[in-house]
Amino acid sequence: MIELEFHDPSGAIEVKQLHAARLPTLERARIGFVSNEQWQAYRMLPKLKALLEADFPGIEVLPIDAFPQGNAVIGSEETAALVKQSGVHGVIIGNAA
Amino acid sequence: MTLTRADFVGVMTNAVAGLGLAPDAAMVTFPIDMFLPGSDISPMEARKREFYDGLTRWRSALAGDGAGETPMVRVQGASAEDALARANHLMLANRWGDGLPLWPPTRARVDWILRGTARPRRQTLGAFPPRGGVTTVESCAVALAMAGGRPEYLPVLVAAVEAFLDHESGSEQLQAASGSAFPVVIVNGPVGAAIRLNAGFGCLGPDPQRPAGASIGRALRLLQQNLGGALPGLGTMANYGGLRYTNVVFAEDEASLPRGWASHATERHGFAPGQSSISLAFANGATNIRRRGAKRETPEEDALQGMHRMADFMRVPNLAGLAGYEHGTPGILMIPGVVAQTMAGLGWTKASMRDFLWEHSRIPLDHLRRAGGPAWIEIDTSKVARESLGLDPWPITASPDNFVIVVAGGGHPTNSYWLQGYSPGVVGRLVEASPAMETLLAEAERDLGPR
Repeated sequence: MIELEFHDPSGAIEVKQLHAARLPTLERARIGFVSNEQWQAYRMLPKLKALLEADFPGIEVLPIDAFPQGNAVIGSEETAALVKQSGVHGVIIGNAA
Repeated sequence: MTLTRADFVGVMTNAVAGLGLAPDAAMVTFPIDMFLPGSDISPMEARKREFYDGLTRWRSALAGDGAGETPMVRVQGASAEDALARANHLMLANRWGDGLPLWPPTRARVDWILRGTARPRRQTLGAFPPRGGVTTVESCAVALAMAGGRPEYLPVLVAAVEAFLDHESGSEQLQAASGSAFPVVIVNGPVGAAIRLNAGFGCLGPDPQRPAGASIGRALRLLQQNLGGALPGLGTMANYGGLRYTNVVFAEDEASLPRGWASHATERHGFAPGQSSISLAFANGATNIRRRGAKRETPEEDALQGMHRMADFMRVPNLAGLAGYEHGTPGILMIPGVVAQTMAGLGWTKASMRDFLWEHSRIPLDHLRRAGGPAWIEIDTSKVARESLGLDPWPITASPDNFVIVVAGGGHPTNSYWLQGYSPGVVGRLVEASPAMETLLAEAERDLGPR
């Protein structure tokens, strides 16, 4: 038999941070949206906002345009800082592009 | 948590991995139909619990740290040919290949490739976007080995990878985007001719005597896929993916530059003549332009008609090109040396050609409006791009200096070539000299035959 041994070319991934802890409940939580404002986000995210507000007493869901919108800005450090400053407990990202 | 399309799961997991998180995420996905104009969005209500769970109950299934040594894989075959076939089948099954035959990156072959650099094999160049695969000198050598490359190509590939990983290149977004961007690597300086990069006839295509461009470009593509996660339909949503087997890697034909014309590397990046360098931009289209006249034009008429014809090819609403409106490029124009010599004899320079192309590629605003162009320009992040809507005709780029003009192609005056830009930046890097270059070039002469 001939054996060939070679490098796995997919390399390594370095996990540097853990995913954020989940919220214990959505009641009285403060939730924001970060959106690229494409792909019907202008219809889908308000729908989601209405569902959350109907199902969880005391929840505060920020307007869908509370943070900068668009492909080029939603991943920026500036947007991340604004989200952090806003004091939201959780964020729903709408991005299909 | 994320609301996205079902076919975007790969893109999203690449993106979170690229941020240094475990490569999974809380997602609620729907088929593409729901994201189209006029769609029925009522399924959102039926699945609202998934959104709630994503915020409250989801846990990553991948707790481990994937960093560490790159593992080796083994195959066995009844003969050398059988083992080679099995290795190729394994690489395709594992989604490591591009569909064409590969050299298995054995230790011996990778070590051979690494003779091309003095850098330590474990030296990290960065995280390859968007997946974030740890990119080392060795991973470049692995990709180059798979692509059929040679050690003397490695310094050019490493420089190209460094430019690719530079945030200014825009690679993080273009890797996943639907617009089918492909990297274009222009090589200047003595390294081009030394390693047999083609600058003449067929310089963007296959050439058995000048195979360097294809191997380097293919290796870059394999890195884009294997470390960057840009697998078609999973990690890259490029509708068409044209020119992605080998990307585009060629040398400027500096020997044919007219007196007084600077090389692309000097003009765009300020590199000194005689320095070896690469320049990386992204394009999303490629077209041949029949530049020469057909009858009894004077040299002046022939030149002017050719310039108009090239500008006409550029006068299109390439809205993907907005990404580079301010600092990138609307595209790369390749003209053969014989044309450059003639143009220079008539008083043209690269700068005057750029001015002409900028002026004559402008689009009448009413044409742009009927094509819906302003909607894209109005939402662009660049203030310069947004304010350009005040100009009529609308310039396809903010400045003539953004056009890239490169002297390359066969010694024939009929055609020029336009690589349409989709490039937030044009990034240059010097190519490090290989300490063993003289020996490597002698071995190339032995292996490939005389030039």
